[in-house]
Parts: sequence; C-alpha cells; structure tokens
Amino acid sequence: MKLDGKIALVTGGRGGIGRAVVKRLMQEGATVYAADLTEQGSLKLHDDDGSHFIKLDVTSEQDSISAFSAVKAQHGKLHILVNAAGIEIEKTIEQTTLAEWNQSFAVNATGTFLTSKYSLPLLRAAAESGISSSIINFGSYDGFIADPGLAAYCATKGAVHALTRAMACDHGPEGIRVNAICPGYIDTPMLQSFFEGDGSGGEGGNIDSLQQAVRDVHPMRTYGTPEDIANLVNWLASDEARYASGQLWVLDGGLSAQVQQMKL
Amino acid sequence: MKLKGKRAVVTGGGQGIGLGIVTAFINEGASVITCGRRNRPATLPSGCEYVTLDVADPIAVKEFAASQPAADILVNNAGVQVEKTVTESTDEDWNSVIGVNARGVFNLCRDFIPVMNAGASIINIGSISGNIADPSMALYNASKAFVHGLTRSIAVDHGPQVRCNAICPGWIETGMLEAGFATASSPDAAMQDALDRHPVKRFGKPEDIASMAVWLASDDAAFATGQLFTIDGGMTASSPLNPGLF
Ligand SMILES: NC(=O)c1ccc[n+]([C@@H]2O[C@H](COP(=O)([O-])OP(=O)(O)OC[C@H]3O[C@@H](n4cnc5c(N)ncnc54)[C@H](O)[C@@H]3O)[C@@H](O)[C@H]2O)c1
Repeated sequence: MKLDGKIALVTGGRGGIGRAVVKRLMQEGATVYAADLTEQGSLKLHDDDGSHFIKLDVTSEQDSISAFSAVKAQHGKLHILVNAAGIEIEKTIEQTTLAEWNQSFAVNATGTFLTSKYSLPLLRAAAESGISSSIINFGSYDGFIADPGLAAYCATKGAVHALTRAMACDHGPEGIRVNAICPGYIDTPMLQSFFEGDGSGGEGGNIDSLQQAVRDVHPMRTYGTPEDIANLVNWLASDEARYASGQLWVLDGGLSAQVQQMKL
Repeated sequence: MKLKGKRAVVTGGGQGIGLGIVTAFINEGASVITCGRRNRPATLPSGCEYVTLDVADPIAVKEFAASQPAADILVNNAGVQVEKTVTESTDEDWNSVIGVNARGVFNLCRDFIPVMNAGASIINIGSISGNIADPSMALYNASKAFVHGLTRSIAVDHGPQVRCNAICPGWIETGMLEAGFATASSPDAAMQDALDRHPVKRFGKPEDIASMAVWLASDDAAFATGQLFTIDGGMTASSPLNPGLF
C-alpha cells in the first residue's frame, strides 16, 4: 500500500471526484478526512466509506481554521491535501451576475488558497520526516482552452493553475510538493448537470446522443471516470512522485491534444 | 513604411502565405528575395528577386547564402505536407517532409545567422499542429514541433545579434483548404462546420499572417524573441467539441 500511515484531507470529499479520491486514498492505507458542505455532497446518497467527515465550506476562513485545528489535535500533521471542491456556473460573462462570479472565485480559487494556507503548518510538520508532503489542486483543461458558456469557471481554473506553480515555488524548499490535476470530461454530477443544464440535448434533443457525441470527440472515444482521476491523485500523493512538483497534469483521454476536427 | 532599407530573404514566396509575406514586405519598403524549387512563378510581384533553390539541399543553401548581401530579415516559410499516419509513412515521405520543413529551416538559419546584420529578425513559420495534433499528419506535426524548438534555441543562443520567433498559423485560405473541403461528402456543410469552429467566423488569409510577420520583422518588435505567436482566429482557444453541441 502506497500511503500507509499518511494523513489526508480531501475538500469536496463527498463530490463525484472527491469520493473516488477518498476511497482510493483509504485503500492505500491513509487516514482520510472528507471535507464537504454536507455529508452527501453532490451525490444523492452516501454510503459510509469509513472516512472522517468534516463539515467545511472552503469559502469560509473560519471553517478552514477549525478543520485544520481538528486535524492538528488528532495527528499534529497532514501529509496530503486534495483541493477537489468546485462549482461550475454555465454562463457567458454577459449572463453571469457579479454574485455568481464572486462565488465561482470564492469556491474554486479562494477555497484552494484558504485550505492550503491553513494546512501549511501541518504539511511542514509532516515534511520534517524528510519525506515531502503533497498538495493536489484541481484545475481543468478548461483552464487552457475554453468550453462555450463557462466563462467564470474557465477563469477560476486558470487562477488555480497559476497558484499551483506559485505555491510550488514558495513551499518546495519546505518539502511541500504542489501539483494540479486538469481533468477533461469526467463522469460526475458536475458533468451530468452540464449535459442536462444545457437543454439542447444534442442531435434530436436526446441526452444519450449528446453524451455519445462528446465521447466521439475524444481520441480514446470515451470520457473519464472519477477513478481515473483518483489513480493520478494516488500517485501524486505517494512518495513515488517525490520529484513531481509545480506541474499541471492534464488527464483528458487525449481531448486537448488534437486540433479541431474537420467534418469531412 | 516599417521595413524601409531592410533586406529580407523569404523562402517559398511564390504562393499562399509566402506570397502574402513577400508582398507585404515590399509594400513596407524592404528589398526582398525569395526562392522555390521551380522557375520564377508568374504570381510574384515584379520588385521581388527570385532564385531557384531547394532549401533541403545544404550545399545549395550554403552557396546561396555566400552570394547574398547581409540580410536583416529571414523568413523560413517553405513547407510541404504529407497526409499520413506514422505506419503509413515511407522513407521518401520522411525525407521530403523532414528535409524541407525541419532541415530546410536549419540549413537557412545555419548559413544566414553569421552574415545577418545586428538586430536581425528570423521568423519561422511553425503551425498550430506543432502544438496539438492534426489527424493523419504525423511527420508534418512533428516537423513543426521541431521548428518551434529550433526557434527557441536560436533566440537563446544567438541573441542579441538576432531575434528569432515563430508564427503558428491556423487554417489559412490557400488552395490546400478548399481542396480539403472538396473531398467532403457535403462540401458546404463541411465548410460551415469549420467556420463555426472559429470565434471570428472566417478563415485566415495570407495577409493575416503577413501582418504579424511585418511586425516581427520591424523594430517595433525589438523585445520580442523566442516566442510562438498563434494566429488562428481563436480556433485553438476553444475546446475541440463539435460546434453547437452545447
Ligand atoms: N467532472 C469533470 O468533468 C471535471 C472536469 C474538470 C475539472 N473538474 C474539477 O474537479 C473537482 C471535483 O469536481 P466533481 O466533478 O467531483 O464535481 P461535484 O460537483 O461532483 O463535486 C464537487 C464537490 O464540491 C463540494 N463543494 C462545492 N462548494 C463547496 C464549498 N464551498 N466548500 C466545500 N465543498 C464544496 C460539493 O458539495 C461537491 O461535493 C472540481 O474542482 C471540478 O472543477 C471536474
């Protein structure tokens, strides 16, 4: 097991990707805190997975302070922080209200800032062993190239990418590695609401044909699963990745490797 | 006139993007020589000098450079494409694509850098396909990535004597693009679909690339070096999903 004896906290830990990450880190031997707004997170039901639930709104400074004090009281250190909480507003800038813009940044960018800031003393404490600790942020391929009607989301992910590199520079000397995973299309409630929210339903207004059309654009002819993302989180969190820092890891079935496809 | 008194060498200037660059340079006051494998094309403006030269041939390039006055601008535009995957490609394809697109750029740079005036500008024509892949264009895509890498190396190794940048065009209206649509099952629909993938809702023209080349060649770009400049009407800024899907 790759993560024996390590302590981890996953924000958005009851979301589509977060849950798969929590499950995998536990399978690999870590003690895991799943931090989310509610016990269910974005899914309708939650089966007890043995993780410790912490109620945490990543936009609240006080919530972050409390969550990491609780971890400190229990373990005195933290080896792995995964910032997987996120929201997606499906609008152009003209349709986006200032409140929606601010909320997008509050969760996706400021949330990453706050949890990272208040976990640093614990990550440093873990790194004193001589083995680096690891922060894993969630960017997106949308931080590089835009999907239509996702303006604020794209901008927050660009911010996360830049913050990832900045944190890696600043805290590398303290033994803290910082990376971001940039998923393409991953089958989670966030993706399903993107499919449903749009309403066009692709050709013939059918959500199945819309999903198939999206699969077909990928060189791998499929979109990803939360477990695909958890596989990479597991590696980045482990000591095998001790030389990996400051990078943006795109995991998208080849989607963004290609030029637009001419329909001939 | 932005290029008055400057001497420019442009490879492959007889048609398409190269012709656009030659024309723009002449309009901005430069004296221009271009080359191609065949005899002088009738399309060339009369003020442009012409020499028959295969850029892939290192000996011919060396002789050409030795015969030239000191240059201020070198544009490596000559290029060929072969539409094949790796397993389909032959040694002949390799020699042709890598010979012109990669070795040709290297040949010209190697022989011109030592004889260029201080503050000279080298402009290589790369491609968006050097960064992300066009299907069934394996050697072409790789040759353009070579151009991008060489561009940075020249900027790093040969500054401040020369600046070196690459322009990465997207879909530019040259004969090649129309020929592509003609093979589609429904040419009009294919054309509309392709337009929908461009935020600016049109394809590029050789002049769009030429105006960037003029800027990079001019002293306005004195601090620009080692970079790749994409001119593609916004195509690669958006995700490669089918237009209208969402
Ligand atoms: N699913 C995809 O295709 C995809 C693609 C690219 C990037 N991502 C990113 O991956 C991460 C996880 O996404 P997901 O697909 O699992 O989405 P999801 O909606 O299933 O899960 C997000 C979780 O974050 C929680 N959350 C939202 N606001 C919060 C807050 N203020 N404080 C704490 N928790 C909060 C939600 O309750 C939810 O459980 C996000 O950062 C997302 O932007 C996802």
